[in-house]
Amino acid sequence: MLVSQRKKTFERKALVNKFTIALAIIFLLSFLASFFYLPLIRIFQYGFSSETGNLAIILREIITDKVNLYSLAFTFGQALASTFICLIIGLPAGYFLAKYEFKGKKLLINLLTIPFVLPPIVVLSGFLVTYGNSGWINVIWKSLTNSSSPLISIFGTIEGVILAHVFYNISVIIRITIPAWQNIDYDQVEVSRTLGANKRRIFRKIIRPQIMNHVIAASLLVFVYTFNSFAIVLKLANPYYQTIEVLIYKSIRVSPDFTEASFLAIIQLILNSIIIIIYILFDRKSRQSAEGKESNLKTTIFQFSKQKWNIIIRNLGVIFFLILVGLFTFLPILAVIIRSFIPDKVGNSAFYGYQEFFSNKEISVLNANPLTLLGNTLWIAAISTVVTLLLSLIIVFILRSRYQSIKRYKTSKAESLISYLIILPMATSSITLATGVYLQFRNTSLFDNAVWIFVIISHVIISVPFATRSILAAYNRIDVELLNVASTLGASRTRIFRKIELPMIYKGIIVGGLFSFAISLGEFGATYFLAREDFKTLSIGIYDSISTQTMQIPLAMASLLIFVTILCFYAIHRLGEIELKV
Amino acid sequence: MVKVNIKGLSMRYEKKYILDDLNLDIHQGELLVILGESGCGKTTLLKILAGIIEPETGSIHLDNQDITNYPPQKRKVGYVPQAQVLFPHMDVEHNVKFGLEARKLSTDVIEEKLKWVTELMQIDDLLSRYPREISGGQKQRVALARAMAIEPDILLLDEPLSSIDASGREALALTIRRIQKETETTTVYVTHSSDEARLISDRVAVMYDGKVQQIGRLLDIDHNPKNYLIAKIMGTSNVWPVLYMSDNDKGSLITLSIGDIQLHEKLKTKISGIRIKPSSFSINTSERLSEKKIIFHGIIKSIIEQDEDNVRIVVDVKNAPSEYIKVDCSKEDIKIEPKTNTELTLEVDPSEVVLF
Repeated sequence: MLVSQRKKTFERKALVNKFTIALAIIFLLSFLASFFYLPLIRIFQYGFSSETGNLAIILREIITDKVNLYSLAFTFGQALASTFICLIIGLPAGYFLAKYEFKGKKLLINLLTIPFVLPPIVVLSGFLVTYGNSGWINVIWKSLTNSSSPLISIFGTIEGVILAHVFYNISVIIRITIPAWQNIDYDQVEVSRTLGANKRRIFRKIIRPQIMNHVIAASLLVFVYTFNSFAIVLKLANPYYQTIEVLIYKSIRVSPDFTEASFLAIIQLILNSIIIIIYILFDRKSRQSAEGKESNLKTTIFQFSKQKWNIIIRNLGVIFFLILVGLFTFLPILAVIIRSFIPDKVGNSAFYGYQEFFSNKEISVLNANPLTLLGNTLWIAAISTVVTLLLSLIIVFILRSRYQSIKRYKTSKAESLISYLIILPMATSSITLATGVYLQFRNTSLFDNAVWIFVIISHVIISVPFATRSILAAYNRIDVELLNVASTLGASRTRIFRKIELPMIYKGIIVGGLFSFAISLGEFGATYFLAREDFKTLSIGIYDSISTQTMQIPLAMASLLIFVTILCFYAIHRLGEIELKV
Repeated sequence: MVKVNIKGLSMRYEKKYILDDLNLDIHQGELLVILGESGCGKTTLLKILAGIIEPETGSIHLDNQDITNYPPQKRKVGYVPQAQVLFPHMDVEHNVKFGLEARKLSTDVIEEKLKWVTELMQIDDLLSRYPREISGGQKQRVALARAMAIEPDILLLDEPLSSIDASGREALALTIRRIQKETETTTVYVTHSSDEARLISDRVAVMYDGKVQQIGRLLDIDHNPKNYLIAKIMGTSNVWPVLYMSDNDKGSLITLSIGDIQLHEKLKTKISGIRIKPSSFSINTSERLSEKKIIFHGIIKSIIEQDEDNVRIVVDVKNAPSEYIKVDCSKEDIKIEPKTNTELTLEVDPSEVVLF
């Protein structure tokens, strides 16, 4: 019978479909298990086991250790302070940028985002050039005041770390709060006015509740970034002040004490997970309240023609403030590029750094050829991107079976399982991740001979959450009814994927790919931790050589990174949304 | 001839029955309107017919063939969902061709059918446009053309007029009607608007509580609704549920929310509601009230001019807040000057009361 034959082919296809999904799930789970979850378990093993003596005593020693306690306090304290200062500058800046309309506003917002998307090591270089002992600000200060003491001292001081963190993260606050301000329905404000509420009351009862979730979400993000800060603290504050990240690194790589390192990593992981979960809750709330809303804030255009002094003064104040914020965030980046053309020694040409770089002479501090560094950076980033995209597509493919479950009005179990499985990598700092990988694989010959494999794996695990999110964001925009219609028109599952889903998410895939490329390009913590002397990328090259007399070569490398990263993010910006999440 | 036979269909969502043992026959070539308030399960029924949702129990036969477990790909149904979902990355031509290409027809056949269906739907001048470049009404025509292109066994339309602006609605409804008749396509048309049902239906199935409660020609249901709820869903004016019934020596006394009605006969069966046509009322201007008639006292709430000679008066019923009666009368008949907030006495002959 024709009917029974049709039914058979359909059942066979359904079976094949199930089989592929099962295969995809197995592949994904085994990757995550072997390179993320097993290493994590290994950390716990080390953290709670001891070859010598009583575990309880050792743990007590670790907990009550002065250095550890001091570092924990410093990590918290500087993260709180940095977040607070970011809020003080970022909130009004976000408000002004939402409220005032002027030429080049979009450009300014994008420029403000640049420090955030740059590799930490580039940001650090810019910071050194601008605020270092012989940096621009201090040179100007010294020549103005004729004093020999610098205005700002960033080495070994808390101010230095906080300043660097504020500079790095301020755009998070600005970018997240701009849409929050814009989403406030101005009609609500007008209605409250007609009901007799004064400005303070309107702010307290109408505006504050609506932006609060955004502000909290943004603050939690900044807190997590500064809490996990590694490169900046390692360079600026070490050995006087250290974050837990730096301490973990040192207790594995400098003075090996695996128990202590693992125990610290566990603390770090738990704290991070808590913050990330709170963040996800608030982020969801703020997204819900913003859903389907359009920009409603009445914008103001700067006006100077009217003879109202208070308005002119206020406008001038706002402009001055915005210029100051712009200078603060963008000057160090510009400084890197400019400084890379200023000779360190008399007789060097302006292009000395670039010439040295492209002539490929070995740099003695690095024991490596500069072009090798560039090559390493690029192919590591390329492979990481491919693997990341593969994994992310598998995740999306598995989640795609949600379409099947909608049929029965149930949420898919695979979906909830996967979404939990990828939260933990998000909450794991790069040093914790590297610690796990190191502890798990350090005795293998692969680790000795081809450490780059583990560098790639850590880059992949760091970027998979980003890439998955951008692909999923595109995927979730597809109306399920579209797929329904396609199936009633006779298109098979594979045809629907090829003709409908893929064309509609390809932008998301490109954005995800660019993200993971940019992340891998500038990744410092895990790379430095795992590879150290054996394998170097540009980030590590810059880090190792920047303290030397010749600034031009590392800054030329930093400028290259700036160029490529900005290119990536410009493309992302053209295609979609820049995600700020961990 | 029965085209589709639905038997014992049930479907739950979070333990609540959306469809509860639903039975329905759809005739060959008819346009069946499924009328019901939102949330009554009519869209779920449509999706089950399309094969998008699998029912928990029950069966669907198409031309005497059991298709209950068929995936949508094998069913040959034309499905037009409520939201206007065209493939956004394809132009109109490729949207319409999608089903034909999925069926792996030859290029000649595809071109031929494309020409036929786009001319039929009057969208042949839009072929190279993208969905974002055309209006809501045009989108719906394209969605219809896409569904019709595969010459479906059944065409399923989910509130096809809901996202169209008022001016285009009637035109689109008439197009749907014309095409359905020309191609003799068996069509299920889901809506909550009785006006749409009036405009195009062959038969109407009124749905609530997960079941088809009454099915038949629109005028039959209009004149003879099974119960009060059906009359209400049909959008009939002046229907009221019966709160209480009793017999006295004159006949049956029916208690409604707008007051009591004394009938001059004894009712043998229980009734759920009554209807009094707006034109059955007359306005009593004399002081004397007839014993034979049913009397209502009220206050004029608003006066709507229907045309040169006729008005519709909306009357607030005294002693029954939030209840009102619509009255149609010619201007000459009203002896009083119709003004809002004037008091007024209405009378109706008991024989004019429709019971159901």
